[in-house]
Amino acid sequence: MEKAKKQHPLADAREPNLLEDIYPYSLPPLIRFERPAVEYIDGEAVEFDFAAVKDRDILITDTTFRDGQQARPPYTVEQMVYIYDLMSRLGGPNGVLRQTEFFLYTKNDRETLDRCRALGHKYPECTGWIRAVKGDFRLVKEAGLKETGILTSCSDYHIFHKLKFRSRAECMDRYCEIVEAAFEAGVRPRCHLEDVTRADIEGFVLPFIDRLMEMSSQVPEELSAKIRLCDTMGFGISYPGAELPRSIPKLIYKLNRECGVPSDRLEWHGHNDFHKVHANGGTAWLYGCDAVNTTVFGFGERTGNPPLEGAIFEYIALKGDLCGIDTMAITDLADYMRSIGLPIPDNYPFVGKAFNTTRAGIHADGLRRDEQIYNIFDTEKLLGRPPRVAITDKSGTDGLVHWVNEFFGLKADDRINKIKMHKLARWVIDQYDEHGRLTAISDQELEAKVKELLPEYWQKYKES
Amino acid sequence: MATVEERVKAVTARVLKLDADEIKPEHSFTVDLGAESVQSVELVAMFEEEFGVEMDEDAALSVETVGKAVEYIAEVCKQQGVDVEQ
Repeated sequence: MEKAKKQHPLADAREPNLLEDIYPYSLPPLIRFERPAVEYIDGEAVEFDFAAVKDRDILITDTTFRDGQQARPPYTVEQMVYIYDLMSRLGGPNGVLRQTEFFLYTKNDRETLDRCRALGHKYPECTGWIRAVKGDFRLVKEAGLKETGILTSCSDYHIFHKLKFRSRAECMDRYCEIVEAAFEAGVRPRCHLEDVTRADIEGFVLPFIDRLMEMSSQVPEELSAKIRLCDTMGFGISYPGAELPRSIPKLIYKLNRECGVPSDRLEWHGHNDFHKVHANGGTAWLYGCDAVNTTVFGFGERTGNPPLEGAIFEYIALKGDLCGIDTMAITDLADYMRSIGLPIPDNYPFVGKAFNTTRAGIHADGLRRDEQIYNIFDTEKLLGRPPRVAITDKSGTDGLVHWVNEFFGLKADDRINKIKMHKLARWVIDQYDEHGRLTAISDQELEAKVKELLPEYWQKYKES
Repeated sequence: MATVEERVKAVTARVLKLDADEIKPEHSFTVDLGAESVQSVELVAMFEEEFGVEMDEDAALSVETVGKAVEYIAEVCKQQGVDVEQ
């Protein structure tokens, strides 16, 4: 057996250390950094100061109405306006949710845009999304938008097999013509580098970026091209040491520090094909990309995009402050999405019906003693969702106690103890032992049983 | 009037569906008499009903044997002014 390198003496204590500087409970757990991270790029050790993110103007952008809508039947105009209104409330007055993009092609697209802007919200700013076609700038101009995304796909899969260019040079020239047309139209182009994690970075992407930077230097700052790094197939990797083109740290370094694209003109757009989408977005923030592009609950093409609500909590965790964000709007968004038929799995973080519901009796016992033991943060304060217990034969009487007290809204000394609930506990156990039940007991069933078996409490707390 | 021990054994036998004569003071409710979680709660509830007292939940549920339950209940009865046969 290998000898231990270091001995670790017990730091005995009679009072718990709950690490409240990291886990404040009133906020999501904070993300703090000890020292800069190091990535080896082209043989050189490069430092990235993650802690600087606290002072950088990182932000969230949204593509719920563009990429998000490609994954489902179209939203109605009313639905989009309602969602936009909620997104504005969520991102708050500081514009943490800075922009959202709209299609501009149909009458409905343009009516939606007009009605969203008519709400008068400063944020999220409305931007467009068009094909890489010169004529489409007329739509952007007519809509009165200052910025639009344009497709500038950059892998050879797209350049040769999808777009059928004869050479990379021809492709780049075409893209630059479109960017020039944007400048001429007085519209800021946001170049979407589609499939960048499968592209030849040194051979095509960086030369294209160099040219964009040169072109941007000839126009006013507010028109200079923004770059969206589109991880179209979800191939991006956050790990230090990973190779290009999949390495997110290296991609951002190359554009940010080699090509000189400022952080505030860089945006990350991910996909969730390998379950990496949220972590990859956070990685992009840390390595120097200011904007992370998201969709409400991650709805998007195929496996979806970085979930907006995940980015919101990541943002708070990095900043250590709500920064004007109204997290309760996340719950309202979920309620609304369900009401218009969008499925949200029960175990989906932050908004699923069971995201903070425990079924295990031993966890329920922890919740009964102190909800912080098994709740990720103050979910009642931030999301209007107190921790809950779903009742099955595995919930134990502790689970039942938690459910009943939460149902009656009783806290501390007012809580009803488990002894008073023995008849209810027996009924639950008999459902499984005597009647062979295999499903969880619904809230409605339990309510009826509480009324029957705890009538004095029902009368006191429900009828008074 | 039956003693505390006799009454504790009678309640225990009724809740756990056992013969009261087979229950000994040294028997553990869970290990020897097979009380499951919900039955432990039922036992405390039935003891409260039998003796007309209210017990502290954590203290009552931490009692492990029949003999300790007799002692604990006698003490609770004394504190709450309930006369019992020792």
